[in-house]
Amino acid sequence: MINIWRLTKIQLLSSFGLNKALHTHDVKERRRLLLLSIAILISVVMVGVVSFGYSFMMALTFEQIGRMDLLLAIMMAVASVIGFFTTIYKASGVLFSFKDYDLVMSLPIKTSHVVASRVLQLYVLNLFFTLMVMLPAGVVYAIKVNPGVFYYLLYLTTLLFIPLIPIIAATIIGSLISWISSRFKGSQVISLILTFAVILAVMFGSFRMNGSVQVLSDMGTQLADMIFKLYPLTSIYVDAVCSYQMGSFLLFIVISVLAFMLFTIVLGTRFKAIYTGITTSHASSKYQMKPLEAASPFLALYRKELRRYISSSSYVLNTSIGMILLLAMSISLLFISSEKLGQLVEIPQLSTYLSKLAPLVVSLFVTLSCTTSSSISLEGKNIWILKSSPVPKQTILLSKIAVNLTVTIPILIVSYVLLMISLRTGWIESLLLLAIPMIYACYSAMMGVLVNLKFPNLEWTSEVTVIKQSASVIVAMLIGFISLVIPFALVLLLSNVNGNLILLGIGLIMIAVCSVILRYIRTNGEQLFQTL
Amino acid sequence: MLTIKHFSKCYKGGKKAVDDLNLVIEPGDIYGFIGHNGAGKTTTIRAVVGVLDFEEGDIEIDGISIKKDPVACKAITAYIPDNPDLYDHLTGIQYLNFIGDLFSVSKADRESLIKKYGDDFQITAYFGDLISSYSHGMKQKLAIISALIHRPKLLVLDEPFVGLDPKAAHVLKTIMADLCSNGSAIFFSTHVLDVAEKLCNKIAIIKAGKLITYGKTEEVKGDNSLENVFLELIDHD
Repeated sequence: MINIWRLTKIQLLSSFGLNKALHTHDVKERRRLLLLSIAILISVVMVGVVSFGYSFMMALTFEQIGRMDLLLAIMMAVASVIGFFTTIYKASGVLFSFKDYDLVMSLPIKTSHVVASRVLQLYVLNLFFTLMVMLPAGVVYAIKVNPGVFYYLLYLTTLLFIPLIPIIAATIIGSLISWISSRFKGSQVISLILTFAVILAVMFGSFRMNGSVQVLSDMGTQLADMIFKLYPLTSIYVDAVCSYQMGSFLLFIVISVLAFMLFTIVLGTRFKAIYTGITTSHASSKYQMKPLEAASPFLALYRKELRRYISSSSYVLNTSIGMILLLAMSISLLFISSEKLGQLVEIPQLSTYLSKLAPLVVSLFVTLSCTTSSSISLEGKNIWILKSSPVPKQTILLSKIAVNLTVTIPILIVSYVLLMISLRTGWIESLLLLAIPMIYACYSAMMGVLVNLKFPNLEWTSEVTVIKQSASVIVAMLIGFISLVIPFALVLLLSNVNGNLILLGIGLIMIAVCSVILRYIRTNGEQLFQTL
Repeated sequence: MLTIKHFSKCYKGGKKAVDDLNLVIEPGDIYGFIGHNGAGKTTTIRAVVGVLDFEEGDIEIDGISIKKDPVACKAITAYIPDNPDLYDHLTGIQYLNFIGDLFSVSKADRESLIKKYGDDFQITAYFGDLISSYSHGMKQKLAIISALIHRPKLLVLDEPFVGLDPKAAHVLKTIMADLCSNGSAIFFSTHVLDVAEKLCNKIAIIKAGKLITYGKTEEVKGDNSLENVFLELIDHD
């Protein structure tokens, strides 16, 4: 068992630049990491406050109907859904794409223990999300119900077990997808298609279910029944924490731990086969020289970068999910009204937002699709190729920006046309609906490059560490989020001013910001790249 | 062709990896760079090819400072690192074509040189496969071919013979000799002293970041073998 912890510890140390932070003697580096820690802390506090507010608002309703237990039930279900969705598209990467596979597998450690350490890595990350959702909910529950000491004991213990089942469910699907894909020639593409299909199917399924029972309008028993039916573990959890039933408490823990153990043992038996299937390339060894096509350095770099992007299902899944959701929303709006859609996706005022803030809503999806914030880190040990090539480094950086725009712009344009039809926008609104997200697409791509230059991680063993857990991705997400929250707040607060005028102002400011970043990349990009 | 002037490189924390190194490599030279592990060979090589930033001293390639015009220097230099980490997601031919594009190699030149070196290293048949399917030696061969297709004036290699089979090592030695007879210069590090003794016309030995001897191979080794000279210098200096 100690080996599971040893392996998990090594993996976690490489996340978020943790080990670098612990061992660096460079003052500049330390200052940078301190700033990063502050940024992460601010975002944690922000999310915590929002989560608390959300729980508190819900508690007011549940208090009226005398079902405070529903608060914990719903939030536990929410934490599980978040855990499931954030795990499903990185499970394959964390489990099967690590460069130290040979080293780890040659150690005298059981394969099931290696699997356990990989799943535990997912667990630690998901525990963070669980705490962000459940801690504020638990506090609100305690304020409203004023329970005995026993509540705190049961509540805090069960917190540690909530992420297990969702992770295992997501990892089973992720592993199955990997296993099926590994049997085909283009395993990465197959894996990508299957994962997207599962995510969209689950989302579509849950929307349909929500729509048919009209969850949001029917509070009380019906809601409780639905949650308990959808995820029976919530029922056991509520019985344990709210009603202090020791049987339920033990059952909850035993089910979670047993599922975890069973899963690691079963996957342990197929682990090597799946890994070999995924990593073994099909080699024909029958190549004969053909005429080659020459291209400019920029085009060559762009093609290389695009191939890199497509070759990694984790990279594609993590950075294109925003655009896929945007497309799904745009298509949905053609068939259902924005009011109805808001009900389905549980954002009650979506229709108001869409008509007033459509350009910013679309921009939100665009900033979620930042490929550049990990594109330099993903060069990893190959960085010597670019550093020793006779190409101005800004060309390299611009090629990475171009790939990001290739991911965002085409879907953006299709969504724009669909939204223009469904929202029946006037010509000024139409123009803003296209221009603002385009500007944000450029801003997000350029900002991502800059942030990655400042927070590079070239010493990774699993690319998921870079794509999901690196400092630059978190900082870029935070900056992207802040860059949209301010305009959102401005439009909402200045409701007496013409919304289009505000959007125009925001657009002009963002163009100015983009030109400053571009100028910075052109003047300092070479130096920053050289110091990597 | 390559002039290293008072080059020093400090690690973060102040320890000097290389201390005031001076070296001149002329066209036609095959210059062997020898030293024990951690002596500063790779640090020097990485600075020469513009991969590593440095503060003290200067490095000139064909009279151009790598600090002032790195792109021009890199255009006439080729580098093969000790560990050939290449793009696994590309096929061999895609990688070579990519390098051809970055170095603006003409279509005709790249086609003929890729064919020539591919056949020399017996790897042409594998060019259509993903690099991820290559063995260490095949990756090394591919890295060597990618370094040769733009006809570099300066070829810099870090432990080039590690991982190569005897036939490929022989091919590489022949190519190195050919390149130098055509006026290029080669600067390479190695631990294989026999190869250095036979292949290099000049040798430099580095110890703890300082150059302890350099010059023509015959002058450096005198009547001894290079191995004896190296061991004596490393142990007693």
